[in-house]
Formats: sequence, structure tokens, C-alpha cells
Amino acid sequence: MFRPVFLLAAFAATAFAQEARTVTIKTLRAQMRYDTPEFTVKPGEKVKLVFENTDDMPHNLIIFQAGTDVLAVAAKLMEKPEEAVKRDWMPEDPRMLAHSKPVQPKAKDEIIFKAPDKVGVYPYVCTFPGHAAMMQGKMRVSLTQPGLADLKFALYLGSWTKLPDFAALKPHREGDIADGLIQIKLDDYKNQFGIVYTGKLVAPKEGDYTFSIAGDDGVRLSIDGKKVVDHDGVHGTTEIKEGKVKLTAGAHDVRMEYFQGTGDAEIYLAWKGADFANTPLSKWVHPQAGVGGKPVVKKKPGKTGIPLIVGTEPIVYRNFITNSGGRPIAVGYPGGFNLAWSAAHMNLTLLWRGDFMDAALHWIDRGGGEQPPLGDDLLRPTGDVSVPFAILESTETAWPKADKNNLAEGYSWKGYALDAKRFPTFSYEWNGVKVTDRFDTGGQASAGGKLIRTLKLTGPIPAKAFLRIAAGTLQPEGGGFSVDGAFTVTVTGAQAAGRNLLVPARAEIKITYAWPGGITGHAHQH
Amino acid sequence: MKRTLLLATLTASAFAADPKESDYYQITTFDTPATTAMEVSAIELLPGGKLALGTRRGEIWTVTGAGSANASDVKYQRFAEGQHEIMGLAWKDGWLYTTNRYEVLKIKDEDGDGRGDIFATVCDKWGVSGDYHEYSFGTRFDKNGDIWVVLCLTGSFSSNIDFRGWAVRVKPDGTMVPTCSGIRSPGGIDFDADGEVYYTDNQGPWHGACTLQHLVPGSFQGHPGGFKWYSKAPDMGPKPVEPKNKSRIVAERERVKELLPPAVYMVHGKIGNSSSAIVCDLSKGKFGPFSKQLFVADQSHSNISRVFLETVNGIKQGVVIPFVKGFKSGPIGGRMDAEGRLYLGGSDRGWGAKGGKPFAFERVNWTGKVPFEIHEMHAKPDGFELTFTLPVDPATAGNPASYSMRAFTYIYQADYGSPEVDSLTPKITGAVVSADKKSVRLTVDKLTKGHVHELHLNGVKSAETLPLLHPVAYYTLNEIPAK
Repeated sequence: MFRPVFLLAAFAATAFAQEARTVTIKTLRAQMRYDTPEFTVKPGEKVKLVFENTDDMPHNLIIFQAGTDVLAVAAKLMEKPEEAVKRDWMPEDPRMLAHSKPVQPKAKDEIIFKAPDKVGVYPYVCTFPGHAAMMQGKMRVSLTQPGLADLKFALYLGSWTKLPDFAALKPHREGDIADGLIQIKLDDYKNQFGIVYTGKLVAPKEGDYTFSIAGDDGVRLSIDGKKVVDHDGVHGTTEIKEGKVKLTAGAHDVRMEYFQGTGDAEIYLAWKGADFANTPLSKWVHPQAGVGGKPVVKKKPGKTGIPLIVGTEPIVYRNFITNSGGRPIAVGYPGGFNLAWSAAHMNLTLLWRGDFMDAALHWIDRGGGEQPPLGDDLLRPTGDVSVPFAILESTETAWPKADKNNLAEGYSWKGYALDAKRFPTFSYEWNGVKVTDRFDTGGQASAGGKLIRTLKLTGPIPAKAFLRIAAGTLQPEGGGFSVDGAFTVTVTGAQAAGRNLLVPARAEIKITYAWPGGITGHAHQH
Repeated sequence: MKRTLLLATLTASAFAADPKESDYYQITTFDTPATTAMEVSAIELLPGGKLALGTRRGEIWTVTGAGSANASDVKYQRFAEGQHEIMGLAWKDGWLYTTNRYEVLKIKDEDGDGRGDIFATVCDKWGVSGDYHEYSFGTRFDKNGDIWVVLCLTGSFSSNIDFRGWAVRVKPDGTMVPTCSGIRSPGGIDFDADGEVYYTDNQGPWHGACTLQHLVPGSFQGHPGGFKWYSKAPDMGPKPVEPKNKSRIVAERERVKELLPPAVYMVHGKIGNSSSAIVCDLSKGKFGPFSKQLFVADQSHSNISRVFLETVNGIKQGVVIPFVKGFKSGPIGGRMDAEGRLYLGGSDRGWGAKGGKPFAFERVNWTGKVPFEIHEMHAKPDGFELTFTLPVDPATAGNPASYSMRAFTYIYQADYGSPEVDSLTPKITGAVVSADKKSVRLTVDKLTKGHVHELHLNGVKSAETLPLLHPVAYYTLNEIPAK
């Protein structure tokens, strides 16, 4: 049932690779960018450039002499658009080294040229009107070719939910990857396989290097036998993980392990060094990969994104928010109090103070990925995503675990209501009990202010029902408890049970949360 | 982008005498509040001539004055915010029902200040894994009071959580009824004049091109990525047979009895690349001569095409014809009011649009002048019957040489999209004009079941010697009628 044609394309390329170095550059759909911000060739070597236009509009790729102001070249075309249209936006410029023809959407072009003999940085650009500002890249002509060399793969068949010990397994097939890029051939194996990639990584000089990986599913990168970064388990490619390592100049042993369970399959590897921008080492380029040294999606967004500024009324923002449980609802309150509440688990998941949220990740481009809160002193009062109420044999009974994505069993989300001040009250049912959960503020979050949470329960409350208020290292403090020294929580009738702060369920429960001092700027993570 | 516009201008000036779309249908682009990006993704009619606009940013705006002849009369008020993408709006009994990523949620303005206060969950029983691709598109109410929701797959290929890749119905009591499997990536969902439900799907795995698909309860719509949820949908019967990769729909229909072929292929690159809103003309002639036909928008091409459907051997099929292009952004949400005003809005975010603007809210009005167009196209055992909006010139319309035809299909495969394959050149052997000069009976040698039949009518003139405003039609021939 498995066709033994894996990486046939790569094998076929081997024969050609002896004559020409193949570089494939694609356009990214609807992003006005090339997928490859730079590539490196050796002086005088023969280069085969495959230019694939996956976008919905035509593009070209023109390589110029080192030092050419490509923006000026493109701007010059715009001065006489009628003439430029006749030439399909192809400039007439003696500094052009090599160029594709204009490539229509979903089409490609191949050009073969000899790399310049002179070491240097040669810019390339798309000269269609308005494209040049973003569609640029650099061809480096260099004697050392940084990146992966002698790349080999070993393919294993099996069904895993975590990376197996591949060393203990027998590979189904092994081979070379001629183009030196980590890759999966989707046409063949779709599900239940693993790949170990091995080869040499050539570092251009001694220094710190940052490696980014993403996989669907698990991935792990090791260099010289040491793990640099991993992201094991079954997951999508939403998250890019980074690892830093110091390398001496020259070749290092690199090993990348990967497995695919079922569904989508992707693998991504890129690196950056002190003097070169994030550069993919995989065929697939993560859509949020940093390009030209400037990450498209900032990891810690500043005020330059789309900050949601809380005025005199609270702001409600439902979207993907880091560590906030399933179906989160973020609320930013006047006074600098912010929280996230999960409509899958009916529980408070995050508290922070200061600025509310940056919507740029979700309101620019397609809106994928989880956005951490914008402000300071982030708290996760109960740590991992969990339900608010549980029936416990004793207070020592472990609190039930919750799955991040699935709706919490036994709970039913009823929505929320906004009062005259636009403060939300969340509603749900649990075990036949109608519950409302709302938050009021007192003072300024930055200066001793408090967040007061009120839960109201209507209906017969089951015996041994508890609300978990916090999880962490608990210390009695001023009639309440300090949690991990990061915040204090005060509830009548609360009892510390190991790391859990519990209160027996009753008709009305009031909880006061406060930060111990001024803004520290540190996130508190469990 | 600019190049395309420029070329369009040059082309238009060379044929300045020919009728233009804008002679018949005019687009008005509204200003929108500077405080937001009005990325309209759903539109609903409210009492008193008001509109509700839902946006990708999760806001809902109420709009007055959008029907006015003076576009500057339009006024906006923000009704709600913070929802995760509004992809469906339905007004009923003082509540605005919304379909967002997570649920059908109804919103009410209880204190009368024009802003929603109560946000009550109606149904949240489908899964959301956190992948951006998992959009949820909802309808208004069907004859039974149900809202239909189409749930995009987790990505292009797979369904990671409950009922991604399915169409479900949300009953008035909030229960969720899994209704059709096989959904890939919807762009819109709405009703035809009879209340039948259709959605648009987008080119990708198991979809050679974008499509308009009829949601028949129990059917499999083509993408097997969500088959695992049959285990949680006992009323849907057993899981269908897996379709064979790299086959043809017409062949797989023989093997997979639940497989319902797309009613119409929105031919890739010609009609569009990203089908979205579906709008039925129920204006009783106020939008022109296309009463009860469907208008299907395309986000990528910034256009609307027109669809006429018929039922042959029990299944829906029909023709798509270009209609109006030149919208300013990528249309996603659309709705027509009783006065024949077609409202359309959208955004180019994440997926480019020819229009060029990041978002837009627009209106299309009929000028009152009837364009010379194909009105309907019916399949016949040995050809097609065409009706026209205006009497034809019998000399050109009755000449088979005025027509040409091409037929093709798509590979039905797990890979992304498909080229046009199995291409044929059927011969037009006869063209007979009816006595009233409003229809032409074409005989074709020969029809191919399962193929898109692409008809060009470059030689056909109206009685007043006008060429057709759109001299091309793409008929998806799922079935060939016996008579």
C-alpha cells in the first residue's frame, strides 16, 4: 500500500545537482513576499533558479549587480507605465544579472545562470508596480556555503504520539536529499511515519545561532549530539519554537527527528546568526517565519501593533490567547485590570494588569496563532486550564484535569450579559446549578487596586462540591493567601489543601485578587 | 495589481461602444467609520430598513441610510464587539442571532441604547481546536426555524475536533443535528428561493475548483477529511465508502452512494478563485430580470457571478455566468433587500483580492435597463436550451457558427486543486430560435455526463444587434435529462 517513490524528485535532482545548484524561490500567496529572503551560491558556479509563483497575481524575479538600488529601478518603470506594460514590467537596465520572465499565477519559470565571480551581496526584486518595496531578497556570493550539507534521511513507519527512540527502530528506507533542505513528500506517505534527517551544518563563523523549528507533528533538533530545541507530541504548526546554540566555524553534526501521526504534515527548520537573517533550512517555510531579520509576527508585540485601549468601559475580546483555555474571552477593565475567562471551561484563566491586548496577530493577515496579553504581571491563578467546580471525596483528592480544546464535561455555557457600565457577567450551568461569575474593580491595578470576583450559585448545590480558587505555593497572608508570592487572594472559608486553595461551593462566593506591589513587569507562570 | 487595472482600462477604451456592466448595474462604495476596519463578513436586514453588518474583527454594526440614493446618508452604530469573526447573522423576535467561530449566540439590546447587552448561547456543540482555519459560517432561519452552520476543516486536509468539515443544523431548542459531511473550506451559505440550502466551497484537496453545493441532509459533499465524526452522528448512517484518490466525481458517485456532486463549478481562474457569499434575488424584479436566481461572490476576483439552477434526475445542477466585477475589496458577506438593493462587503486580509482595498462595504443597484444576457440555460438530452433577457437576432442566434463549446472536468483528488482535464470539443450541430425569439435550442454532439460545458456565444446578437454583455456560460452537467 505504500508506493516506494519517496523523494524520487530529490533523486532525480541529484544528477543535475552536479552541474548546477538548484535554488527554488516561491512567492507567498497574498503576502507580496518571496518565501526566500536570501540564498547563497559559490563564486562562478552554475545556478538553476526555479521561480514558482503561488500567488494570485503575476510576479517576476530579477537579480541585479551588487549595490543596485532596486527600489529606484522599480520606481523608474512607474514613470512611464504605458511603456512598462508593453514590456510586461521588465526593466531595461545594464545592471541586471539574470531574470525570470513574468510568471503568471500558479505558473513557474526556470533560469540557469553563472554566479558572479566576485564575492558580495546581489539584490533581487519583483518589478511589477508596487511590489518592489516588499518583494526583495539577497543572493550572497560566498566561498563558504552555510547551511546543510550531506543531508540524508531515514524513513520509519509507525504510529506514535511522541517521538520514538528512532535508534532502536529499523528504517523502512534511507537516502540522500540532494537539495539540502529538510522536507516531507506529501504525495507518498500521509500518515504514521517518522523521518530522521542527518547531515552537516556549516556555520560561517564562530558565534551564537538561533534555530527555529515547527512541526506537524513532533520535531526535535540536535547539534553535535546535544538537543537544541524540540516540540514533541501531536500538534499543528501554530507554534514556532526557538533554541540558541554557540557554534564554532565549520561543520557540525546535525540531526532532526520528526514524526507524523495523521492529518496535516509539515516540518520547518530555520536559523539565524549574528550577521544573517532568519534563513529557512527546510523546503516548507513557516508563514510566520521571520523574514529579513524582522519577524512578521512579533513574539512580544509592542505598542506598534493594534493595541486595544481600554477607555471608560471594559473591552471584550474573544480570540486565541496564550494559556487561556478553550474559547477564551478577554476583558480589559478600566483601571488597568485585565482577565481571560474560558467559555470552554467556564473559568478564570489569566489575570494581568496594565495594557490589555494587541489585536495585530489576529487582525493582520489570516489571524492564526495565540497572542499573549500585552500588559504586566501575568497570573494564572489555577495554573493549567481547569474547571472551576468539582466534587471531591476529600480536599486532598486531585483536581480533575481538563483538555484545553474540548468543552468541559458537565458544564454548559450560557453566555454573558453586560450591565450599564458594560461589565460582563458570565453564565453557565454545572450539575444543575446555575452559576454567574462577574468581576468588579476597585482602584488602579498598578497601585494597590483589587479585582473582586463574585460567583452566585442557584439551585441545589451537590455535597462535597468545591471551587478551586488558586493553585501554587500557598502562604496565609493578611486574612487571605499569597500564591507563589505573586498575588494574594482573599475568600471567606478558603482552605489550603496542598497546592490547591479550595472553598466549599455555596450560594455566593466573593474572591478578592490583588498584586502585592507595583508593576514588576514579570510574568508569573506555573 | 495596478497592471491589471491599467490593462482593463486599455481594453475598455478600445471597445467603448459596447455595453458595459455599469450601464445596467452600478456599484456604490460607502464610507465606513474611521475607527474600525469594516471587514464585512455577514449582512442581515433589520426592521425599519436598517442593516446589521458583522465583521471579521468580531464587531457588529447597525446601519441606517444604506438604501438612500445619497450614499452619504449612511450612518453606523456599533452594536457589539469582541466576537471571534461574525460569519452569519439572522434577525428574529428582537434578537440578532450570530454565528461566530465557537457558537450560535443571540444578542439583544435590552436597555434600548442601540448596543447589545445580552449575549445568550444558543448552541456551542461543535469543536474548535485553535487553528485559524476553523471558520464557522451560519445561515438565517430555514422553514423549520433552524440555522445551518458549515464548519471549515482544521486545515485543508484534516478534522482535528468534533464535526469540523460538516454541515450541522441548530434547532430552535439549541440542539445540534449533524447533517452533511464532506465540507472543506466554506466561503458562504444561504438559501435559494425555495428555501433549499447551498454553500460555497473553495478549491483545495478533493475540490478541483471552487463550487456551489446543495446541502441535502445525509449527503457527503466530497472531502472525506471529517469522516471520523460519523461515529458521533448515528442518524447519518454508517460512514460512506472512502472515495478513490485521483478519480473523477462522476466515477466516484457510482461507488460512494452518499456523494453529491457540486451543483455548479465556479470555474477556477475564469469565474473566480475564492467563492464566498450566496445571495438569492427575491426582489420580484426590482433587481432586474434575474428573479430567484443566485448571485455568488468571489473574494479573490472581487466579483459576483450569476447562477441558474435546475433539478435533473433528482439533483441540482446549473450554469454560472459572469455578472458584475469591480468591487473594491474581497466580498465575503452579502444580502439583498426587498427593494432589490444588493449589499456586499468584504476584506482582502490573508487572501488577496483584485479590488485592492483592505475592506469595503458596497451596494449594487439595477439601473432599470435590461442587459442582453443569457437568462436561463437548461440541459436537454441532446444539448441545451437557452433563454435570453431580450429577443435575439434570429440570423446570428440561429447560426451554429455563432457558438462554440468546450467540455472538461477536474481530477477528484486529495492533492490541492486540479487542472481542467479530459477536455473535449463538443460540436454545436444545431441552433433553432423560438417563435418569440427569446430562446434558442442548441443541439450538441455530444454531451458528457459530469463535465463542465463551457459555451461561448461570441456571434450571438440581440434583435437590436447588441452583443451579449457576458457571452460565456459554464454549465455543470451532473446529469443528462432523459427528455
